[in-house]
Amino acid sequence: MMTTTSQKSSINEDTIVAIITPPGEGGIAAIRLAGRQSLAFLSKHFRAIRKDESDFKPFLMRYGFFVDDNLQKIDEILAVFMPKERSYTGLEQIEIFSHGGSLVVKKIQEILLKSGARAAEPGEFTKLAFLSGRIDLSKAEAVAEIIEANTQKSYDVAREHLIGNYSEHIEKLRTELIEILAEVEASIDFPEEEIDPEETSQLVDRLNNLAQSIKELADSYTGGRIISEGFKVAIAGRPNAGKSSLFNLLLKQERALVTPTPGTTRDYLSEWIELGGQAVNITDTAGLRSGGGVIEKAGQSSAKKIMGQADLIIWMADLSQKKWAENLSEDLNENLNRNSIILGNKIDKVSVDKKTEELLSDYNVLPLSCLTGQGIDSFKRVLVNAIAESMPDLTSGLVVTSARHQQKLKSALAEIKQAKSKLAENQSPELTALDLRLAASELAEITGRIYNEDILGQIFSKFCIGK
Amino acid sequence: MTTKDFDIVIIGGGHAGVEAALAASRMGKTSAIVTMDAKKLALMSCNPAIGGIGKSHVVKEIDALGGIMGMAADAAGIQFRRLNLSRGPAVWSTRVQCDRRHYNDYIVEYVSRANKIEIIEDLAGEILTENGRVKGIRTESGEIILCEVIIVATGTFLGGLIHIGEKKIKAGRIGEKAAYKLSDSFRGLGFEISRLKTGTPPRLNGDSIDWDKCQIQPGDEPMPLFSHQTKRVAFEQTPCYLTYTTAKTKEIILENIKRSPIFSGQLNSTGPRYCPSIEDKFYRFVDKPRHQLFLEPEGNGTSEVYPNGFSTSLPEEVQVAAIKTVTGLEQVEITRPGYAVEYDYCPARQIKANLETHLIKGLFFAGQINGTSGYEEAAGQGLMAGINAVLQIEKEPPFILDRSEGYIGVMIDDLTTRSTTEPYRLFTSRAEYRLSMREDNARDRMADYAEKYNLLPKTVLNSFRELQNKTKQSISSFKKVRLTAEDLLNYSNELNNMNSMTLEHFLKQPRISIARAMPLLVSYNGEFRDRLEVLERAAIFIRYQGYIEKQQREIDKFKKLEHEAIPEDFIFQAITGLKREATEKFQRFRPDSLGQASRIEGITPGDVAVLSVHLKRHKATA
Repeated sequence: MMTTTSQKSSINEDTIVAIITPPGEGGIAAIRLAGRQSLAFLSKHFRAIRKDESDFKPFLMRYGFFVDDNLQKIDEILAVFMPKERSYTGLEQIEIFSHGGSLVVKKIQEILLKSGARAAEPGEFTKLAFLSGRIDLSKAEAVAEIIEANTQKSYDVAREHLIGNYSEHIEKLRTELIEILAEVEASIDFPEEEIDPEETSQLVDRLNNLAQSIKELADSYTGGRIISEGFKVAIAGRPNAGKSSLFNLLLKQERALVTPTPGTTRDYLSEWIELGGQAVNITDTAGLRSGGGVIEKAGQSSAKKIMGQADLIIWMADLSQKKWAENLSEDLNENLNRNSIILGNKIDKVSVDKKTEELLSDYNVLPLSCLTGQGIDSFKRVLVNAIAESMPDLTSGLVVTSARHQQKLKSALAEIKQAKSKLAENQSPELTALDLRLAASELAEITGRIYNEDILGQIFSKFCIGK
Repeated sequence: MTTKDFDIVIIGGGHAGVEAALAASRMGKTSAIVTMDAKKLALMSCNPAIGGIGKSHVVKEIDALGGIMGMAADAAGIQFRRLNLSRGPAVWSTRVQCDRRHYNDYIVEYVSRANKIEIIEDLAGEILTENGRVKGIRTESGEIILCEVIIVATGTFLGGLIHIGEKKIKAGRIGEKAAYKLSDSFRGLGFEISRLKTGTPPRLNGDSIDWDKCQIQPGDEPMPLFSHQTKRVAFEQTPCYLTYTTAKTKEIILENIKRSPIFSGQLNSTGPRYCPSIEDKFYRFVDKPRHQLFLEPEGNGTSEVYPNGFSTSLPEEVQVAAIKTVTGLEQVEITRPGYAVEYDYCPARQIKANLETHLIKGLFFAGQINGTSGYEEAAGQGLMAGINAVLQIEKEPPFILDRSEGYIGVMIDDLTTRSTTEPYRLFTSRAEYRLSMREDNARDRMADYAEKYNLLPKTVLNSFRELQNKTKQSISSFKKVRLTAEDLLNYSNELNNMNSMTLEHFLKQPRISIARAMPLLVSYNGEFRDRLEVLERAAIFIRYQGYIEKQQREIDKFKKLEHEAIPEDFIFQAITGLKREATEKFQRFRPDSLGQASRIEGITPGDVAVLSVHLKRHKATA
């Protein structure tokens, strides 16, 4: 079961953030911030398109860019400020409307979390609305159901099963942490007893293993995102290689601009299709090459970013170019060190001699033609297989699907690292214990809570204590 | 039939009862301690020592709130030690071995000089109530004592039953009667009563011990004291000794284990896991060939010795045979046999955080009746019950220490949110905010309360405020002093780099212990050169500063929930949308605050969220 830590969400302290539109694709997605620092957090990341529109007036829509800490533009957004007197939650509130790509929305949420906002608990906005008297008091009992329902609705039956294993797994990690903590605590609380706590090096080893497991779990968030948000494919390559043609072919509709002038796809287009039973998000990126104008460079940098975040890259080479093999070799060095499929487009325009065949096989290039459709079917088979191979192992159930959980796991990991170095440096045990306790309480916020009694129980079961 | 009238009646003259009476006396209320023997006030029934890990923090807090335990232990101390000195200062713990007789005499004398305390030698038999509020008590001899508030501090005397092998004796302490009628009175009032047990080792004649075979454990110099009011101690330091059981001990005990009432099934109550009987130790940790025993003198003028670690309820002849196999005890004489004692307690979910029962207004519980064990735990509760009894009479809000303020707060919160399964004792690991709750800052934590409730003489408080100021000055002077390379030469093993640094920076070096740093502090702190306590307090403050800031964030989160009070008339059953188990738990424990509710065993964060919503609604409509 997912647990909430809503008891921490005291009304006037935290600023909370959540995506309030359903997960998956949509034209527009909405993100809500509520709390004292809502406006401050947004202002830090908002750059108005028109200078005279950079101040937020109540209920006036503002148009601009959402930027990250390095002032990199993340998306064009509309945002509106609602003062606490007139907001749903009764707290200062901001609503951001971004493009509906789930990557973009997630990114915006992540940036706001990094700024100091806290991920909202399921049902928390409604709870705040109730507490501030914004919604009918007589509906109070519904709040409890909302807290339950919000977590359950978003998970189908299969996923609930997964979550069962998942929380058992976290519980196992927590138990191991408590056992290690008990070793440290035993040496503090029973200094005169003849107990032999484990050697420091042994405890450090155990912490290393534990940290590894927690890290794997935190990293599985990427896999978790694939489950909840779909598999991300980026089509990349030099300008005019036929990326947009492929994109359109895959979508079976004319959506991207296809022109013979190099470098016209300046930003990216992104669509969803179903492939092999899996939702796949395909993004067409701007062509990559050296040189080009300012606008083109911006497009290129966004292309590189999209490639960085893709689960799979389809790299397109233009076989009609005489030096395609040399170019490809250069491009591979520069751009491709990840999961990828290499396509050789425009096979219809070249006569395949023995040398070409050798080169195709050397570079593991799949030849096709977007114009004639030659090779498309075999490419799709390769693509479906690649997607299947990249999917996380669902049978283990060890997949983090929630940004909040990932946040907790990362915090726990940070505390464990500190504990480890204190142990290794032979610092006072009460300081190591503090880190381990904080780590345990981070984990406990995912599954349940930590009782001091658990620690003592460990000590008494392991050591013979008693003067 | 005579009738007497007091503000407060205290049932039981042990460590809890005495602190309660003294606190009430300081706050100007009259009290009667009803006890069987006026000469046995605050007797140490078991181990003749005060303090130890976790417990010493409570003694310091009691002392800072004007209690007597610390002063009595100092006055009667025969060996003073500071445990855990190789760990950080948050877990340093004072332990004082006492002269049992002198400790008891000191307290009898102190109580006799206190105002408004009367000792009534009798056995309490019945709690008298009227409209759900206490009215007084009836003693077993038929006397009626009227009062506004009753504090029950019965220790092991409530339904006490002693076991020595197959023998059973109705007694609270060996040779003393137990209170059975009072248990019936509680049952009649609707209290849930359960049983716990504890044990004590046989006592030995020190003249028959071969001390040369044992390892000497001297006291520490300078002597660590509990109380800042202590001017002098009565005795020279006396050593304790360490010895071990042998293979033969194990053999005899395991052979006869069936004759121990716990193993024969004669005694079913749970004893403390942290203080198991010797038979329990051999049985549960069967791979362990031997166990250590501490031989502790019972006093200055007596040869009686307490073998710490040899608690047992085996038949007397088995005790004798077994203890004679311990190294150094081959010829030993037993002066008194060890025994187990079973007693009644009222699971503490029946009390509120001010120690008053939910069921009867004006009825307070302190000590073993709440399922605790230990003199220090009892005294801490007695003190709090005494203060809260007075506050109730004066219609003032209760005095409640929370988990971030002191070990007393941790203890009472644990008692009121968890079901007791064994006698409860304190450990430092029970305190989440351990780094901020140390011996050295007990007075910093308590001074405002002591002042508010008038628990300490003005002079004592003033001298403490002066100490606080000097500590502050010292802390800021540490920031200014710059150490030279020459200063650091002595510390090359502990420092990663020997570059010149401020004294403050030096004190933050994790491998420099406070003790090692002291000579340097003394040499640089002209003004406070002789005030080692000032220097030590300042050094500890600096050492922990960063960690405490980290911990403070946790404390802030915790405090928010603590301040969400749940009104006494709040009806948990009326909460819709709460799991049935959660409703039942809330009803059983009746938490005083949202924070307390969140710590009740089996309560999930979701339950607390729902409760919180309804609480807000309740307040909005109230």
